[in-house]
Amino acid sequence: MPKRPRALVASFMIVAAWAAAASERLHIVIPAGPGGGLDGTAREVGRVFVELDLVERVSFENVSGGGGGRAMAYFLDNADRFQTPLLVNSTPLLVRSLQGLFPYSFRDLTPVAGLVADYGVLVVRADDPRTTWQTVAAELVRDPRAFAVGGGSARGSLDHIVLAMALRLVDVDPRAVRYLPYDGGGKAMIALLGGEVDLLSSGLGETMAFIEAGQVRVLAVTAPERIRAIENASTFVELGYPLVFANWRGLFGPPEMPAEVLAGHLERLRRMKASASWQATLERRGWTSLTAEGPSFVTYLDAQERQLREVMMDIGFVRIDGR
Amino acid sequence: MWEGIATGFGTAFQPVNLAWVIAGCLAGTFIGMMPGLGPITAIALMIPVSYSLDPAAGMIMMAGVYYGAVFGGSTSSILINAPGVASTVATSFDGYPMARRGQAGRALALAAYASFAGGTVGAVALLLFAPALALLATEFQSPEYTLTLVFALSSIAAFAERGQVLRSLAAAVVGLMLGTVGTDQSAGVQRFTFGRLDLADGLSFVLVAMATFALAEAFRMVLAGGTELPRSELAHARLHPGDGKAVTSTVARSSGLGFLVGVLPGAGATLASFFAYEIQKRFRRNDETDGARGIAAPEAANNAACTGSFVPLLTLGIPGSGTTAVLLGVMLSYGVQPGPRLLEVEPAMFWGVIVSMYIGNVVLLALNLPLIPYLSRILYLRRRVLVPCVIAFSLLGVYLTSLNSFDVYLMLAFALAGLALRLAGFPLAPLLLGFILSGMLEENLRRTMVLADGSLGLIFERPVSVVLVLFCVAIWAAPLMRVVRQRQNRRRGDYAA
Repeated sequence: MPKRPRALVASFMIVAAWAAAASERLHIVIPAGPGGGLDGTAREVGRVFVELDLVERVSFENVSGGGGGRAMAYFLDNADRFQTPLLVNSTPLLVRSLQGLFPYSFRDLTPVAGLVADYGVLVVRADDPRTTWQTVAAELVRDPRAFAVGGGSARGSLDHIVLAMALRLVDVDPRAVRYLPYDGGGKAMIALLGGEVDLLSSGLGETMAFIEAGQVRVLAVTAPERIRAIENASTFVELGYPLVFANWRGLFGPPEMPAEVLAGHLERLRRMKASASWQATLERRGWTSLTAEGPSFVTYLDAQERQLREVMMDIGFVRIDGR
Repeated sequence: MWEGIATGFGTAFQPVNLAWVIAGCLAGTFIGMMPGLGPITAIALMIPVSYSLDPAAGMIMMAGVYYGAVFGGSTSSILINAPGVASTVATSFDGYPMARRGQAGRALALAAYASFAGGTVGAVALLLFAPALALLATEFQSPEYTLTLVFALSSIAAFAERGQVLRSLAAAVVGLMLGTVGTDQSAGVQRFTFGRLDLADGLSFVLVAMATFALAEAFRMVLAGGTELPRSELAHARLHPGDGKAVTSTVARSSGLGFLVGVLPGAGATLASFFAYEIQKRFRRNDETDGARGIAAPEAANNAACTGSFVPLLTLGIPGSGTTAVLLGVMLSYGVQPGPRLLEVEPAMFWGVIVSMYIGNVVLLALNLPLIPYLSRILYLRRRVLVPCVIAFSLLGVYLTSLNSFDVYLMLAFALAGLALRLAGFPLAPLLLGFILSGMLEENLRRTMVLADGSLGLIFERPVSVVLVLFCVAIWAAPLMRVVRQRQNRRRGDYAA
């Protein structure tokens, strides 16, 4: 009788080994609660992967808190527990490591690829007589306290940073302008429509419905070229200001990722981005695709970190001893 | 509009959608009943299910989960003093004492009927006024919010039992201080986090509520020892004769108020339930029905408010609360952009969701009433069984929302501190109220002051805010007058002696 269990174990092991070889299981850690943009990105990528049979299964884990720092710590500590772990992240990762909120930066991970980009917009109410960024900027040059500017996140985070970048280019001290933080882009939009603030710095994605409804006018967008969905809106570059800035969302792997695993991810992502299903997802979600894979994603992150450091030093949000 | 309503009925009464309303309500109300789990958790848990549905069915189901969780949320507040969501804190004020008196069935039945009434009034109001009400949301700005919050905090003095005013205010200040932990929105820096990432996002409501209410109460029961609950009426879902009549006007008033407050982004169900409770106190009759009305008022209000919070979500695309923010994410994942044009682009979904709310409320009432006798039996458990269960569920609820063991230790520390405060005679409800309102109050006050270049002038320039200032003054004057009168009486007494 002792033979039978051994045979059972052996056959089980064979089956397990076969299953591992034939299938790859991704585990994506999401540094935010369910329902938000990062969560949506991770889950859409996972869905398309499975749909195209690029992997067998994708599991997700939401680890929120600590401005994304808890997910980072969790990911670094537990990466070896999963077959193929990935971490989805976005621009605030750079912002928070510059602020010194957590002791990590993207250099502690292996950047895999950028997926989508959301651009910053400066908008006014549709009935505002000031129709161009130049007129609005001229008013702030005369008096930086002429009106208050709203944004959907705390001082020193993205909406404030985009505003500061735009103000620096017209020689206005960003610290002299009154920036009012609201709890989310939605509440900031209400403040603009209700007249509490006269200018709003926000993400294009959050603002789109109000642009389409004709309630607000885009003065300028931080995209490198015009965006199809809002063809009438000028970019900062067209207006003569060298300001291009994207809030990217992308995938990262654990620190010591073997080259062939990275190559596998890049191949999968290449096929995903070429698929009709992913194109339909971008269309449905209103996302703009971001092309930055492997080494070019690292270069992209380096450049954005320099850009952020400069403006954040200026508004007083980089720790001098910071990394 | 009538055409739209007809579309809505057409959508909501499709058999598939009917099934999803029922499924959503069922899931929501059960998750909501768990101590420590509220609407946000319920919705988050159901997101994977929603991905496989078409937009209208998905939204109908998710809305059902949301108001189902609010409906069921009162259960743990009443039975074990463990409000899983801020909007049912006020329900525990009168609900838990009633359950301790052995009338758990009555308390739960009152909550169910009041929730049903509030939800239905909310749904009717939503159907009739949704597009028009969107305006209200834009008219209410930082100065008005600041004053509304000051008014809510001021009502603590009115909540306070006689001789407890100073202790209540002191507890509220502690609550306000706890609310300042985390990232300072206006300066973008960390406060009182001691460099710990675990504190960077501030303290969570569930943690503070479970620690100061459920855990502190469980510890107190351990210390008090002794008597078991009277069991006479425990398991009867019956109202007392006269309860129905007594609560009718309270429910009507609270539902209307709740809906209006619910429309305001950010204020929502919590403020609505506190205001309703406060107003109900003003109408107290000092008889046996006070407790009944104390349960009915916040329950009608928070359910109406939950429906009201769909106004800014559907018409402006703006989430008024954490829960509606998650719902917004769900809509975006369907490629549906809620906002000013939703009504034109997706009429079936817009009206379908609203109409499904009536059906949902009927389902919830039919589901909850028969369950009451079984739920109340939790209190049949002997203390040495019940208390460990409460402790375990509270700790589990907090751990499951953050999956962070640091929160568990922090919660235990808070519970011990809460117990000490209670034994020293400090009421903990004001502490929790202060904590809930702290962040919103600070944020709005600072914006108001930045807008007025550092002065408070703005609140005296805007008509709505001036009215709110008058409300606040009136509510401050009442207990002060009482204190002054007491002092005078006492002094007169001293002289006489």
